Amino acid sequence: MATDTLKSAARSGGLRRLLLDNGALTALIALVIAMSALSGDFLTADNLLNVGVQAAVTAILAFGATFVIVSAGIDLSVGSVAALSATVLAWTATSHGIPVVLAVVLAIATGVACGLVNGFLISYGKLPPFIATLAMLSVGRGLSLVISQGSPIAFPDSVSHLGDTLGGWLPVPVLVMVVMGLLTALVLGRTYIGRSMYAIGGNEEAARLSGLRVRRQKLAIYALSGLFAAAAGIVLASRLSSAQPQAATGYELDAIAAVVIGGASLAGGTGGASGTLVGALILAVLRNGLNLLSVSAFWQQVVIGVVIALAVLLDTVRRRAGAGTVAAGTGAGGGRGRQAVTYVLAAVVAAALVGAMSFLHGGASSTTSKVGLSLSTMNNPFFVQIRAGAQAEARQLGVDLTVTDAQNDASQQANQLQNFTSEGLGAIIVNPVDSDAAGPSVRSANKARIPVIAVDRGVHKADTAALVASDNIEGGELAARTLAEKLGGKGSIVVLQGQAGTSASRERGAGFAEGLKAYPGIKVVAEQPADFDRTKGLDVMTNLLQAHPDVQGVFAENDEMALGAIKALGSRAGTSVSVVGFDGTPDGLAAVKAGTLYASVAQQPTELGRIAVRNALRAAEGKAVDKTVKVPVKVVTKANAAGFTG
Amino acid sequence: MSDTEELLRIEGIRKTFPGVVALDGVDFDLRRGEVHVLLGENGAGKSTLIKMLSGAHRPDAGRVLVDGEEVRIHDAQDAERLGIATIYQEFNLVPDLSVAENIFLGRQPRRFGMIDRKRTEADAAELLERVGLSVSPRARVRELGIARLQMVEIAKALSLDARVLIMDEPTAVLTSGEVDRLFTIVRRLREDGVGIVFITHHLEEIAALGDRVTVIRDGRSVGQVPAATPRDELVRLMVGRSIDQQYPRERTDAGAALLTVEGLTRDGVFHDVSFQVRAGEVVGVAGLVGAGRTEVARAVFGADPYDSGTVHVSGARLRRHDVNAAMAAGIGLVPEDRKGQGLVLDASVAENLGLVTLRAATRGGLVDRKAQRAAAARVAERLGVRMAGLGQRVRTLSGGNQQKVVIGKWLLANTKVLILDEPTRGIDVGAKVEIYQLINELTAGGAAVLMISSDLPEVLGMSDRVLVMAQGRMVGELPASAATQDSVMALAVSTPTSNEAATEVEAARGH
Repeated sequence: MATDTLKSAARSGGLRRLLLDNGALTALIALVIAMSALSGDFLTADNLLNVGVQAAVTAILAFGATFVIVSAGIDLSVGSVAALSATVLAWTATSHGIPVVLAVVLAIATGVACGLVNGFLISYGKLPPFIATLAMLSVGRGLSLVISQGSPIAFPDSVSHLGDTLGGWLPVPVLVMVVMGLLTALVLGRTYIGRSMYAIGGNEEAARLSGLRVRRQKLAIYALSGLFAAAAGIVLASRLSSAQPQAATGYELDAIAAVVIGGASLAGGTGGASGTLVGALILAVLRNGLNLLSVSAFWQQVVIGVVIALAVLLDTVRRRAGAGTVAAGTGAGGGRGRQAVTYVLAAVVAAALVGAMSFLHGGASSTTSKVGLSLSTMNNPFFVQIRAGAQAEARQLGVDLTVTDAQNDASQQANQLQNFTSEGLGAIIVNPVDSDAAGPSVRSANKARIPVIAVDRGVHKADTAALVASDNIEGGELAARTLAEKLGGKGSIVVLQGQAGTSASRERGAGFAEGLKAYPGIKVVAEQPADFDRTKGLDVMTNLLQAHPDVQGVFAENDEMALGAIKALGSRAGTSVSVVGFDGTPDGLAAVKAGTLYASVAQQPTELGRIAVRNALRAAEGKAVDKTVKVPVKVVTKANAAGFTG
Repeated sequence: MSDTEELLRIEGIRKTFPGVVALDGVDFDLRRGEVHVLLGENGAGKSTLIKMLSGAHRPDAGRVLVDGEEVRIHDAQDAERLGIATIYQEFNLVPDLSVAENIFLGRQPRRFGMIDRKRTEADAAELLERVGLSVSPRARVRELGIARLQMVEIAKALSLDARVLIMDEPTAVLTSGEVDRLFTIVRRLREDGVGIVFITHHLEEIAALGDRVTVIRDGRSVGQVPAATPRDELVRLMVGRSIDQQYPRERTDAGAALLTVEGLTRDGVFHDVSFQVRAGEVVGVAGLVGAGRTEVARAVFGADPYDSGTVHVSGARLRRHDVNAAMAAGIGLVPEDRKGQGLVLDASVAENLGLVTLRAATRGGLVDRKAQRAAAARVAERLGVRMAGLGQRVRTLSGGNQQKVVIGKWLLANTKVLILDEPTRGIDVGAKVEIYQLINELTAGGAAVLMISSDLPEVLGMSDRVLVMAQGRMVGELPASAATQDSVMALAVSTPTSNEAATEVEAARGH
């Protein structure tokens, strides 16, 4: 087993053996060397602690996943369960005044309960683990949205200290990660259930015929995974000071990747705590380093994928070349060949990375004024336009602008902001995934005296030098007025909502509802979320048309969903049904010109980006800036579409 | 012999794996129309050698010549091109495809770019005819018994126009009738000019089928002798010493009944099975493959449920379908499928030896791994497991040593009733004797052994009593003194008088 190998290795040949027996560790070291060589900001105590904090949540989830994967299972539900547990904690403590200690116990119990349900479905219901946990992924996410009603809930302050530091320097998440890691090593290496995991993963039938109570063990294994997921959820939420129903989306894949990079096989029977930790650190070092190197957000994902593949490849090749017959290295023969293979591969990884970095890094200018921009997502033309505006302005002003993409994940954004802060940038522009969750990271930027400009959405409980935004509530009201007047003050309409829990969706929806109050003749027959996504807009609208074939109007909280709805409506769009969108994206404006989209409440995202950079530069230079900069929204219809540019 | 007759020649082949020299100077040759037996203990290097010929491994040194020309076999395609086909013990068939599709897998005749199903089936029928297998080309491979699967493999090899056919222990899993059929086919192939490399542990098969024998020991070819060589001489060549007694059973006085099974029935599988095993006794269970012996053993051990009947151990009744209750009462099972059910192949020797005692070695959730390791070292020493160390992965041990590990885990648990299901299948002579000696030690210590085996000489040689099963029923019990090959076989092929669903099921399997 991996733990054995590691230990006997350390005894018999020191560092060299350790590296040979653990391809992932070699890859991690190569990465660290490459990053240190490429960025002067990487190898500082502060930044390394950042990496630790950023690895913590993935690592804790991955420790739980290690149990499951070693026993030849898979748990896809850990991200959802983490979010659900955190939501339960915040909901019981904040909304119901239950003592915090009890709330923490309840949160952990929630995680364990989810794991037990998984385990029960798998061992007694005979469901494949993939299916059982896929179901739990959906159920967990759904329940956390139900409990939180789609909005983030503030985390109790006493628990939020989990996201702080001990003695002013040791971050608690790192401490929790280390403790959970030791616990994992203990469970895997020393306990009955841990040894059973290896036996069950290696050969379930042989384990059963040797008297291991396989079904009972599986229950416990998934319960452990749920427990670790709950712990990860609490750490995640305390870092953000709020429980986000959409937190940790997709983290199950990061966790699985970390376990596999760490040398475990999805076929079961191998894996260990140290390997998993290394796997999680590789992912964190990569994200952190790529941020520091100002690698384009799009390229970051490419590089991360390539490194995951390389790390596992390195391990596979090493295994094939090496320790074939003997589990704990005893053979002297072939050692040199194995060593050569490992070093060559490590060199290739390092060289590939260095090459990629310098290539991607080549265009960066060397001005003194550096600004970082953390966007919530780039999956949406609106934010891409913000970036375009910001970059254009930066070029004009000679500002060195680094853009990162948080992929709608508040915790990833926290990491990026932390990286900006430790780099010591002149100013930071943030487009928060969530206003509450961005608070703690912006506060630490405040502490470092780096001015922060918020764009599109504000940041709560922290100082921002300026908020550059268009008014979503006002926009919602405008949309209501436009649609109602088009319909002549009466008719039935449907509303396509954005991603549950996002402030844009809440504010536009609220504004729209407010605006409709003036038109009692308009009836909203259905409100359904389509997640700001064009495909989902199409699907949801198609479904709604089945139930309400006679709608006359559609309000979509962004243009993407509106365009999806237009697809669903076909020839009725723009003729018998009027669709109003939001954002004024290029596609949306084209549809307005074509007549299929009646109107779009246009923000001016390019303008938002430009103004944000302009203000960031002023703030960095210590000049005064306005607290709020309103970028006007306008209703664009066919009449004025020609003259409008975003 | 003229050169044209020589199909294959291997000279001075050497192959090392990290820490192990698998082959060190092996010579071998094969002529047209001969059966050349490759003989050696497990772990001697036979498998490694045939993997060189099928392209799975590449030699570190030495030459391989086909038709007098030196060749390099890098992969299965190279082997196929040279006309070398290998039939492994684990068949390479896709269970849910038809027989015809399996035979022509990847090479189906095509018409207009589509698979020509008619021709595939017609061609397959012809090949099946050649190997004397009467089964529809459209039958799913999953539905076939093991003997037929082997025939399908041979048909597949023939479809490749194989001139060299390598068969790795083809008789290990066959009943004697099936073996006879296989031999008929092999002889016919020999007449057609195919050269056959035949691996077996059954020495009597050598005289019956072989022309020449090459003996491999510890990775070296130690001799090439005619097939008519006396058995003792073959054994001496193979193990490097002579074995006095093949079945060294030492009888002890039987004590009280330890295992009592009464009226055990699972509808459609086995019926009204009753027997006793007493302390210090070895009871053999003979019968044809599919007679229900393994199913009874698994039911007794609690691995599978049964519908009626009782199992008592030392007078206490066992809960149905509860492995842990059986283990607590002192029953152990060494399953038929060593790799699939007996071992965690990628775990170490120590881990495997400690599996059964894992729970007992746990205090407050923590396993005392030091004690586990010490116990494993002790039992490995006692069993003479040949390994690089306790950390070696079980997958890389030879078959005999793997079996010792499976038995060893039960020894550690102080098992009182050990059920052995085909304990020496695929194991060489030397290791077999060691396992028999272990059985002696167990019974001398007051344990009871129930031994299921399809190797009739073994059943006769090692048992104190022989039970015979046929078609899911216990059809007879013979004391060791009265049991002969003929008397046991007569019972094994008999039809039980009361006729029920069981008969149909077995008939449908039709070996």
